[in-house]
Amino acid sequence: MRSLALAALATLLAATATRGAQPSPAKSVVRVNATLQAYNQIRPWEKIAPTTRLGLGAVIGDGKILVTAQMVTDATYIELEKADTSAKTIAEVVAVDYEANLAVLQPSADPDFLADRVPFELETELRPGDAVEAWQFESNGTPVTTEIEVSKAEIGPYFLDTAFFLKVQANGPVQYRSGSFTLPVAKGGKLAGLLVSYSSKDQISHILPAPIIAHFLADLEDGEYGGFPNLGVAYAQTLDGQFRKYLKLNGAKGGVFVSKVIPNSSAAAGLKVGDVILSIAGHDIDSRGNYDHPVWGKLSLSHLVRGQPFTGDTVEIGILRDGERKDIALKLLRRKPEDYLIDPYMFDRGPKFAIVGGLVFQELTMPFFQLFGKDWQTRAPIKLLMAQANPEMYEEKGYRKLVILTRAIPTPATLGYERLSTLIVTEVNGKPIHDIGDLVEATAGADVAQHRIEFEDYPKLIFLDADLSRRVDATLEQRFGTIRRLD
Amino acid sequence: MRPHIILLSAAAILQPQWADAEGTRAAAGPAAKAEISNSKKYEAIVRIECSSLNPDYRTPWNTGRDSGGNGTGWLVAPNKFVTNAHVVSNSRIVYIKKVGDAKPYLAKILHIAHDCDLAMLELEDPSAFEGVEPFEVGGLPQLDTTVKVIGYPIGGERISITSGVVSRIDFLNYSHSSVDQHLTIQIDAAINPGNSGGPVLQGGKVVGVAFQGYSGNVAQNTGYMIPTPVIRRFLKDVEDGRYDHYVDLSMSEFTLVNPAQRAALGLPNDGIGIMVAHADADGSAGGILRTGDVLLAIDGRPVMSNGLINYDGEDVNMNEIVERKFAGDIIKLKVWRDKKPLDTQVTLKRFIHYLISAKRYGEKPRYVMHAGLVFQPLDRNLMTAHNIKDLQVRYHFTAYAHDEIYKERPEVIVLTTVLPDAINSYLGGFTQGIVDEVNGTKVRTLEDVHSALQRGGGDFDVIKLLGNGRPIVLERSRVAAAQKRIQEKYNVLRDHYLGDAEREGAPPEGR
Repeated sequence: MRSLALAALATLLAATATRGAQPSPAKSVVRVNATLQAYNQIRPWEKIAPTTRLGLGAVIGDGKILVTAQMVTDATYIELEKADTSAKTIAEVVAVDYEANLAVLQPSADPDFLADRVPFELETELRPGDAVEAWQFESNGTPVTTEIEVSKAEIGPYFLDTAFFLKVQANGPVQYRSGSFTLPVAKGGKLAGLLVSYSSKDQISHILPAPIIAHFLADLEDGEYGGFPNLGVAYAQTLDGQFRKYLKLNGAKGGVFVSKVIPNSSAAAGLKVGDVILSIAGHDIDSRGNYDHPVWGKLSLSHLVRGQPFTGDTVEIGILRDGERKDIALKLLRRKPEDYLIDPYMFDRGPKFAIVGGLVFQELTMPFFQLFGKDWQTRAPIKLLMAQANPEMYEEKGYRKLVILTRAIPTPATLGYERLSTLIVTEVNGKPIHDIGDLVEATAGADVAQHRIEFEDYPKLIFLDADLSRRVDATLEQRFGTIRRLD
Repeated sequence: MRPHIILLSAAAILQPQWADAEGTRAAAGPAAKAEISNSKKYEAIVRIECSSLNPDYRTPWNTGRDSGGNGTGWLVAPNKFVTNAHVVSNSRIVYIKKVGDAKPYLAKILHIAHDCDLAMLELEDPSAFEGVEPFEVGGLPQLDTTVKVIGYPIGGERISITSGVVSRIDFLNYSHSSVDQHLTIQIDAAINPGNSGGPVLQGGKVVGVAFQGYSGNVAQNTGYMIPTPVIRRFLKDVEDGRYDHYVDLSMSEFTLVNPAQRAALGLPNDGIGIMVAHADADGSAGGILRTGDVLLAIDGRPVMSNGLINYDGEDVNMNEIVERKFAGDIIKLKVWRDKKPLDTQVTLKRFIHYLISAKRYGEKPRYVMHAGLVFQPLDRNLMTAHNIKDLQVRYHFTAYAHDEIYKERPEVIVLTTVLPDAINSYLGGFTQGIVDEVNGTKVRTLEDVHSALQRGGGDFDVIKLLGNGRPIVLERSRVAAAQKRIQEKYNVLRDHYLGDAEREGAPPEGR
């Protein structure tokens, strides 16, 4: 009885302490232990060996934890751990944005697990010269704080090199403690960002700053996550005096030349190749493509589109078209990874594939290119690289995805086809193949003795025995567990 | 990875060799007398010394880099010497030296066949070889029979003889052009740099020309010679005073091993027939064969499902039939199409578009330099010299023939270099782009670039690159002065070279 009473008292004290408490490393940061396991790109029915990632999460109230998305890419198991007591509980991902590299977790079995923790508030007002603290723990749970100094900000990728965001740079040595992937960064006890990279050579840290976190959390509030919008243009600088004269830009200041407009993007509704963008949302754009940010100075125009407005918002763009000034309003959209011909990234889901008679067909994705190693841009087959660089070549013909024959598993049905690999499939049994579903439909539904499979390149045409394929597939299904993944 | 095959001409600076030759003669004086019969025996085998100019595609306006080397040759007919094309490629001066005679005799190239690495030389003054008996060209030697390789390889100045057996007869890549494949014989006699072009003898007849091998750290005792079917074809081709090159069916084929593939095409499972995967539109079989056709017989010989035919009792590649033919020859094909037999024929011709991937020799690089921008037509030499990594250019290079890029662009023009100057200070990032349009003219050849820039189109020269919405813009009023300045600064004597009309591999009709 006595010990029970003591325990009750302790809880009460903690609760009292929490009410008026300031965030601190001990009370506002928890350990996050994640087990990650991605799908095998070449044997898509398998997952690769699991790895472990030990990092930190920031308590953000409402029983939620904020971490970088990298912490939980392809997570199969996530644990939260209190550094002081080593108490653990299972957690789940509530929301994740891989482009913005942010995720929200919550305890999945014990909703009160974080009740004795002190949530962070966000500090979005960072400026050069600010002293901030990176928070982490010694292995015994003792908090460690390291002061670093904010120096500047730029627009760059977080961890996917296709998505550019505001990145704050800070200087000063940060000692690495084990289990410290992603350190919360505090300013005056509030959460100023997450430290996502640190180079010990030049003592430079990069911080994913609070304004981006705030955008992410605000977007989540209505339960429907829209994501960070993209404009969908490529642009060129207009520093060259001859080019400016040619564009009749002599009277204007700055401006960038629109050199490509991606079909179905935000820009496609109003911008054309040859337009010069002079302003976005009231900010003048200089001839390098930067605008003047009140705190950070020159920042890339992409921040005006991606970092501040939300998907669905309208942005005003001032342009020069054929020598005349115009203002256009564009509704901002976001292209989801699955909307691309070739998915730019894939996490938490396996490649879509189907095995027919031992031939492995798969939708081409960026992770597939990674199989060719660091030099994939020179080592991958040139036709696949061309498709990646110029998806419109295929999109115009109605392709939603590129289905490729990745390889032939040696079976009685694939005799003579063992060496075929990385071929773009165009038609099967006379039906155009625009995604893996088309291929399954074209083979499963066909009343043929041999499946006719056509490729864009050599050998152009092969046939598979339909009956034999069915028998082979049944055996392979037993061996692999599954022979297709269509969603 | 494919092992690197080395060519066997000794690349060395010419000057020291002259000095060596002088020294040898003085020292060997008395001994030479005693071996007169030997000199006599080998006097139809000559040392070929060559000094050459190798163009630099990075500075196409320059004359090129000097180099020299030597190889071997042999007398095939009065005053007709055979050697390898690579021994005398890009040559400026060629000398022939006779055994036991240090005097160099000036020679000229009568024919040079880069696609089979053979050349024919002739002396300005043939008197030194009067009465010398030319070699007879023999047949295909049997496996495991002995052959002798004679020539002037590294390791000394005088003639060298090695011997070995015929190890293998196969179709192999000829590394001189790097894209041509012909019959090749592998022997285990030592063949070393300098042996190139020399005769391989059996029973006193020439049965091959030594030409390539592996460096010692890749494979041992593997030397390659060009066999007599290839030599005879070359000799016959040049009989009319002109070399007309090899011809090609210009198609790719896929083995018919899979029973379903055979059943679907309506073929019995008898091991006969190979499927046509693709026939190049501009090639011999273009418009005659199509994807899904099955080639049952070529020139009356059944084609097996692995692409081999039986020829003189040996299973050889079906292309061996085409190998022995000449431009304009007709070849009969038995084809299986839509489950029915079809007899057809093909008039053989050279497939010119494959040359984009061949190493090229004896050509002055073509270019246009305008305001410091250097435009050059895409070929293998250009890819190598500029170490081109750009995906778009690599695609055009790789798929030029197969994807019929030549229809839209007989020449793919690349902006290779920007010679920095005030007029182009913001244009450095445009290199390795493919030129699509100049001053409103769609670019099909280098000539198009030149004439469109000469003509102009208003106040600005506007150059559009493929896949790049941002055009290159030059103020025309500034170009002339810049051109002069750049030519002086960078020592560009001529601002363009468009080539001779009869240049080998010039784009065909439609330019």
